[in-house]
Amino acid sequence: MKSVLFNMGYFLKEAYKTIRLNLLSNIFSFIGTVLILFIFALVITGWNVSNRLVLMLKEEAEISAYYEENLDEIDKDNLIGLIEEIDGVLEVNLVSQAEAYNRMENVLGNEAGILELFEENPFEEYIEIRIHLDETERVIDRIENIEGIEYVRDNREILNRIEGIVKTLNMAGYIVTAAVGITTIIIISHMIRQGIYENRFQINTLQLLGASNSFIGFPFLIAGLLMILCGGIIASVLTVIAINIGFGQLSGTIPFIPLPPKNELVKHVVVIIMTASIILGSGGSIFGLSSIKEDAER
Amino acid sequence: MIRIKGATLTYKDGTTALKDINLNIGAGELVYITGPSGSGKTSLLKLLMGVEYPSEGEVLVLGQKIAKEEKRRIRRLRRNIGPVFQDFRVIKGRTALENVMMGVRFLGFSPKKMKSESLNALEKVGLKHKYSSLVENLSWGECQRVAIARAIIRKPALILADEPTGNLDLDNAVSILELLSSLRDDKTSVLITTHATHLIDNQKDAVFIRINGGRITMEQGGRA
Repeated sequence: MKSVLFNMGYFLKEAYKTIRLNLLSNIFSFIGTVLILFIFALVITGWNVSNRLVLMLKEEAEISAYYEENLDEIDKDNLIGLIEEIDGVLEVNLVSQAEAYNRMENVLGNEAGILELFEENPFEEYIEIRIHLDETERVIDRIENIEGIEYVRDNREILNRIEGIVKTLNMAGYIVTAAVGITTIIIISHMIRQGIYENRFQINTLQLLGASNSFIGFPFLIAGLLMILCGGIIASVLTVIAINIGFGQLSGTIPFIPLPPKNELVKHVVVIIMTASIILGSGGSIFGLSSIKEDAER
Repeated sequence: MIRIKGATLTYKDGTTALKDINLNIGAGELVYITGPSGSGKTSLLKLLMGVEYPSEGEVLVLGQKIAKEEKRRIRRLRRNIGPVFQDFRVIKGRTALENVMMGVRFLGFSPKKMKSESLNALEKVGLKHKYSSLVENLSWGECQRVAIARAIIRKPALILADEPTGNLDLDNAVSILELLSSLRDDKTSVLITTHATHLIDNQKDAVFIRINGGRITMEQGGRA
């Protein structure tokens, strides 16, 4: 430990020399690392946004139950009571004809004028039921079997599609994460192996003088970590820029997408990128260091 | 300090470099190992450095057994050995001072102590005035002095010099041998291999060991 502290200047100088030794190759490795980490950051951002969307949809999952026209107020109350007792039901509300009309007006916005073409309110009174998404099938089945219920409308198809998209995104995310991990480790370890090869004479001499492999390898570890940390910082800056542009465009053109708070998202992504940089940098460096052969001059 | 009992060294390709070597070297001895090229001088030094392991027999250096399973300990043993090589093994792109400091960097010296001890070592070999010179700008004789300074800065119990004059002209060779033999004291033994026997003829108070065909053929000046 003492020799590490006393030699920090030497280690940094040697790390710098290692990077400079194959400057062009290392510049390309560095650019490659930045781009890989940037792609990783974009995938994490996409993941974050889509997970939030699904979570919100799950929370907002609701179905509409329409009842027979001849029911009086007491029957309706009884119906609501029966629905409320079903497991998986979160909230039950009666939506009047007038409210249904207002909601559609809000949905249509500027196009709401089309509703004025109807002489009478075309909407029916219905029961709005918020449910656990995972319980959809069972809850619908139970409600459909309640006496007085005419039919149940659900948005299962849309929810299933969204879930399918999210699953695909997740799968792509896992693949990209694995690709980022493997590629980064290979790039860093290759860079270190190259440095070790170029410095083999010095390494052999240090081995003959009695230096431990950990002492000999420390500058290479620093070189690998410096490269990937700088790569992580640049990738983070690029990601922040991309998030700012993306938020500006999405909130203007597709305002109904529920975006997470920007600062929270940026913080989350930067922490992940920098942590991944440290882990992958250490992993790649250690992998590369394994190429220091015991007494290679033998 | 060094005890070799019936040691044989056979390389992976089947070449036997040393056969049934028996040798005892005590503290504070100056030993010259001579013999023609390919006789086994360097192989003997490789054994003593723990770069090679005996195929048969036993080798003990400063109490440490030289064997494959002792790799870690051998690395530590080398910290008590001052190696000097025919090709100097100085690192280009570094100054004389940086090269000497390399001998103790991993020993926990503070930067201040490391620098002052390195300058002292350079002074001992007569190169203090060139401490800031890059080694590629030094003559071969000076490079060998840097290597010797790097070896002695550790105050080793054993100095192993493998053909230290091999690449030097006569004047430099004589002065390097004088320098190396002067490093011997009560605690430090010096082992020098050379094929240039004419340079060591007048050495007194030294042990002369001749190797040929991987065997010790003659031992003079010390214990028989």
